[in-house]
Amino acid sequence: MSEYNKPLPLITEQSKVFYDACKEEKLLYQQCSECGQAIFFPKQLCPNCMSHVLEWQTSRGKGKVYTFTISYDFAPPQFAQALPYVLAIINMDEGFTIMSNIVACDLERLECDMPVEVVFDPVTPEITLPKFKPVNSEQKGGHRG
Amino acid sequence: MDSIRGKAAIVGIGEVPTGHYPERPFIKAAVDVCEMAIKDSGLAKEDIDTVIPIGVVSNALDGANMVCCWIVEEMGMGKTAKSNFQIMSGGSSSANSLKTAAALVTSGLSKAVLVVHCDRMGTGLDLQAALATFSVVSVNQEYEVPYGFSQLALSGLLQQRYMHDTGTTERQIASVVASLRKWAALNPNAMLQKPKTVEDILDSKIICHPVRKKMMNILADGAAAYIVTTAERAKAVTDTPAYILGLGSRCTNFTVTGQPQDFFKAWNPAAREAYEMAGITPKDIDVAEIYDAFPSFLLQSMDYLELCKPGEAGKLFEDGVTSPGGELPVTTNGGMMAQGHTGAGGGIAILVEAARQVMGKAGDRQVPNANIVVETAVGGVGMDFHVGVLGREV
Repeated sequence: MSEYNKPLPLITEQSKVFYDACKEEKLLYQQCSECGQAIFFPKQLCPNCMSHVLEWQTSRGKGKVYTFTISYDFAPPQFAQALPYVLAIINMDEGFTIMSNIVACDLERLECDMPVEVVFDPVTPEITLPKFKPVNSEQKGGHRG
Repeated sequence: MDSIRGKAAIVGIGEVPTGHYPERPFIKAAVDVCEMAIKDSGLAKEDIDTVIPIGVVSNALDGANMVCCWIVEEMGMGKTAKSNFQIMSGGSSSANSLKTAAALVTSGLSKAVLVVHCDRMGTGLDLQAALATFSVVSVNQEYEVPYGFSQLALSGLLQQRYMHDTGTTERQIASVVASLRKWAALNPNAMLQKPKTVEDILDSKIICHPVRKKMMNILADGAAAYIVTTAERAKAVTDTPAYILGLGSRCTNFTVTGQPQDFFKAWNPAAREAYEMAGITPKDIDVAEIYDAFPSFLLQSMDYLELCKPGEAGKLFEDGVTSPGGELPVTTNGGMMAQGHTGAGGGIAILVEAARQVMGKAGDRQVPNANIVVETAVGGVGMDFHVGVLGREV
């Protein structure tokens, strides 16, 4: 397997919690204990009520593609060897929004509002990235975002 | 609150050609546009007591030097200038500098404000560096960077959902670019002056589905400047002031993932705020100078500015309403897709074009009776939205 040379996430005290959970195939988000707001990206305080009492919750991992694009050219330099790839904004059932890649999907099948579910891609020994595939599809081995 | 409606005006503008000018030094272009704007304004340079350089993207040192009174020294304003400070909010720097300048002159803190932008996005930044820059700015480092987002991908994400929600066709999207190219053909400062047909645009290859190569903006070197003073002083020095009638704005998010759904809905209240201050309705608008960057920015802006029925902006472009000779001319300098994208200057060029139309100085592309002109600006990945209304009369 060739060396992974795409950018890795910045690991902070907070994002470490998120990525450690990804290694165990759990997708975390935050929920405000005061007002109940679902929060993502993880934050220091609730953007709704400014409470600092935020709890990690485990997502069921299902959502719908709000929008997507297929990059064929002029990608960030480290992605030049990975073309084409699918970038998407996904609205999760729990009420938060996440950016990721759609994998294991025929490009012609992609559409807004299509249901997707999380799959975990261990890109390095330290980092596992949450990605998404269409619900009811088998994950094919070959195509990785 | 006492509105600033009609109390300040743009009195002078300057601009050099936008494009690839490797032999044109940064400071030459910057000084040229300041000189043009001062001569255009009817003010003496001693009347200008505040200089606002806009942030520079392609070269950090040029930007730092502009912060450190480079223009004050080059223009010989060292005995009369009182303040020199940078404003930078990316594409919306035009609106934030206009707002600041208007506040400074109407409060009496300044007599006149010179805003200057210069950047070398065409020749001062290589393509790989530009792609790298635009994949990390306005991007969350913990949760977005790993997935290959960029400003170009942004155009794909926005256009995809816009087409899904409104039924706008690819032909209509291509018509946006064709309209801008027609305007650019009349603009001696535009980089791309050769018209393109809808077919030419649809024949170009897909870059970030559904966005094609000729639907992308083009990075360029450029510079522009404008001068704001009080309405009272404007009347004394020029016959062609562009009065500031209304300003409205909203800031919404840092990242594209952090956008309130639906994308850019918060833009509408910004437009309403500007119209209310100006005392106009969308029907009163003679020219719309809309910040473009990508076709979808333009289309969404038209919808949220209520210049058409929601979702029908594409039809206006397809039917030629926005083109030269059309009923509602849109982005008459050709915008960033045809005049060129100069970094934070794309918005400055649009604001300067709005003032130019109001002043009646737009040459071959002058719209007759451009009495009320609306102009917009957007920064980051669509992080904010600003609407300004300029007019010939108060």
